[in-house]
Amino acid sequence: MARVYRMATFAMLLLSAGAAGAADFPQPLPEEPVSTVTELPERYPDSWVFVHDLHFNSLPDGRAAIVDVGAENNNLRGQIPVAQFGNILPSTTRGEIYVGETFYSRLTRGERTDVITIWDTKTLAPKDEIVLPGGKRGLFVTLRNSLQLTNDEKWALVFNFTPGSSVTVVDLDGRKILSDIDLPGCSLVYPTGPRGFTSLCADGTMTSIALDATGKAGPAVTSEAFNTIDDDPLFMTPAMVGRTGWFVSFKGNLRAIDFAGAAARDLGGFAIPKQAGGEPEWRPGGWQVISADRAGLLYILMNPKGIEGSHKDGGTEAWVVDPKAKTVVRRIALKNHSVSIEATQQEKPLLVASRSDGSLDVYDAASGAFVRTVASVAHDPMTMTAAR
Amino acid sequence: MSGLDKFSEKMTRRVARATSRRSLLTLIGGALTGAAVIPVLPVSRAQAQGHGHGGDPVAPQTTGNPQDPGDQTQCDYWRYCAIDGFLCSCCGGTASSCPPGTEMSPITWIGTCLNPADNRSYIVSYNDCCGKSSCGRCLCNRNERDRPMVRPQANNDINWCLGTSSAIYNCSTAVILGVALEQQ
Repeated sequence: MARVYRMATFAMLLLSAGAAGAADFPQPLPEEPVSTVTELPERYPDSWVFVHDLHFNSLPDGRAAIVDVGAENNNLRGQIPVAQFGNILPSTTRGEIYVGETFYSRLTRGERTDVITIWDTKTLAPKDEIVLPGGKRGLFVTLRNSLQLTNDEKWALVFNFTPGSSVTVVDLDGRKILSDIDLPGCSLVYPTGPRGFTSLCADGTMTSIALDATGKAGPAVTSEAFNTIDDDPLFMTPAMVGRTGWFVSFKGNLRAIDFAGAAARDLGGFAIPKQAGGEPEWRPGGWQVISADRAGLLYILMNPKGIEGSHKDGGTEAWVVDPKAKTVVRRIALKNHSVSIEATQQEKPLLVASRSDGSLDVYDAASGAFVRTVASVAHDPMTMTAAR
Repeated sequence: MSGLDKFSEKMTRRVARATSRRSLLTLIGGALTGAAVIPVLPVSRAQAQGHGHGGDPVAPQTTGNPQDPGDQTQCDYWRYCAIDGFLCSCCGGTASSCPPGTEMSPITWIGTCLNPADNRSYIVSYNDCCGKSSCGRCLCNRNERDRPMVRPQANNDINWCLGTSSAIYNCSTAVILGVALEQQ
């Protein structure tokens, strides 16, 4: 009986609350049209970051999230499929986003198709695709330098791995394949000069190939060996400051490579100055461990438990290094263990640190102050690319 | 197994045996230091929670053979000293065989792991199993002597479902190819 009484009271409360509400708002909410789909600006603000989700638990269903790390809310602005160890590459000038990906006609079996899918930045709808021949697009945990642009963003360079290495040159204007270039013993593509690329090679050298107007390879120029792969190899993803790529090694040595000319030049490097607190020592750790802001400061994700084999373990601090002064100007203690970092290209940059739970922690890069967490944007946020 | 598969298997074993003593010793060093590794790993949230358990509370599976000790569902099982991926032991296969309906990749990367029971070092081939999507159980990533993509044969980030009818990755095995060194 007491229960019935309580329920009646509750119902009366609801009714009275409803009556009061209607009095406050004499007009109902307007009817809303259906089939409304949000659009994005053609050019993304520089607080936006492309977060690639490898989705290791379902690799054919990889994707990327477009995240505004500078906003208070509504941070996740859209998603793009990036299937099967895919790559996402935003253009800075063409209003398009390129995705290198691989499909099977029956999802996991059947006919293999490798494509560059072309997405419209404004609608996030697929515009077109360019089929990549040979079923040889390299499949490995995402590295940004397996898909790059050259020739004023008119051409794309696709790294293939079968396990033989090669590069496919793709004309994005004509939507066609221009050439396939064998690259024995070398990996990935670093755009070089006005029209060409460099690859890092297994003997510690790098090879630069200039392309002619039809996309065919000119003579290869090979450097002296500079990458000590056995003892202290360079991580494959550099931080770009203009056309200079700053690479960092497993043990914390920085190396600058100039990609502005027709052949890449080794500009030398320096060791990140030793810092206290490592057990046994601080080393870079994670997946995308180095990034640069517009001013040319470098951000490096550091792991205090650095040993052989710790290079993918992530890090607990981001160190801000001034490559001109060769100093550590700031140590940013991260709130959470992080996997990859990326600096936005804003006037006042933000530093984004991705976590293994798929959330992003955002810091003021200048002060190191924690700004916000953007929760659950990806399953496996391995690589990030700031809008430019 | 096709003629091509047999050929590449033979080649893998030959290359593995021909690897220099010095580099084998280096690899063994890596394997030894790896025994206590705690995988705080970038590849998946499961790994971050893993603490050497592959992320999932999977019931233990042992071979029952005292000369092949350890739990094959755990990252610290001796053969997994350079593995990266889902353990096939948790996915319908075993440490040395693929789950039903998948295809074993003939091309692979290798490690040299010390068996704590007989104190021998074995060459272990990490053949991927292919043709079905990610198993999703017992993710394990150990990186002793792992090198970046610039040296593919020493890199465990590559999808080694190469030379199979489908390049879709399911899980990874750890097959004994032979003894690495004569014991002194």
